[in-house]
Amino acid sequence: MADETQIAAAPPRDNKREARAIAFGVAGWLVPGLGHALQRMWGRALTFFAVVGVLVFVGAGMRGNLFNSQSGDAFAALGYLADLGTGGFYWLAKYIEVGGPDVSHAYGDYGTRFLAAAGVLNLLAALHAYEAARGRKA
Amino acid sequence: MKFHLSHLQAMLLFALMISVAFGFLSRRRPLDRVKYIAWSLLLFLLFGIGIGWAMYPFSR
Repeated sequence: MADETQIAAAPPRDNKREARAIAFGVAGWLVPGLGHALQRMWGRALTFFAVVGVLVFVGAGMRGNLFNSQSGDAFAALGYLADLGTGGFYWLAKYIEVGGPDVSHAYGDYGTRFLAAAGVLNLLAALHAYEAARGRKA
Repeated sequence: MKFHLSHLQAMLLFALMISVAFGFLSRRRPLDRVKYIAWSLLLFLLFGIGIGWAMYPFSR
């Protein structure tokens, strides 16, 4: 009887844990490293904040192409998704890149890659924060 | 604000950032992270410079 009570009590706790994990994942996406900081993983939090920040800062400074939702083709849509991966830093990049993108030079093209890489890395970090909160990653 | 990085500088910065992020993502102990980052950085540079030289005959 006692076992049945324990089994019946388990799902709400799991749901709470799952909701918490999703919240950490979303927090990590919005502000790079926040998902780990909320779990007191300070090293990872600082590293992801710094790495994504540097890539966005340098990428925007090199006048990389920061895609928006109105870009026409499929590659631009993928680029937009990758750029959105930087979360709040997407708007920081827009703020830094006042002159707009300039991909007529090699460094502008590199800047585009830096911005996309920052977004994809941040999505990976947010996924890691989510999995860590679920107890599936160390 | 503008950055004008050369090809090599851009590659070095990119390789370093990605290596550090992957090291912290995939390893937990500090020594393991350092080893992973060093290896990853070395391989990034080796492959980057290698592919650069492999393309050299077709550059003109």
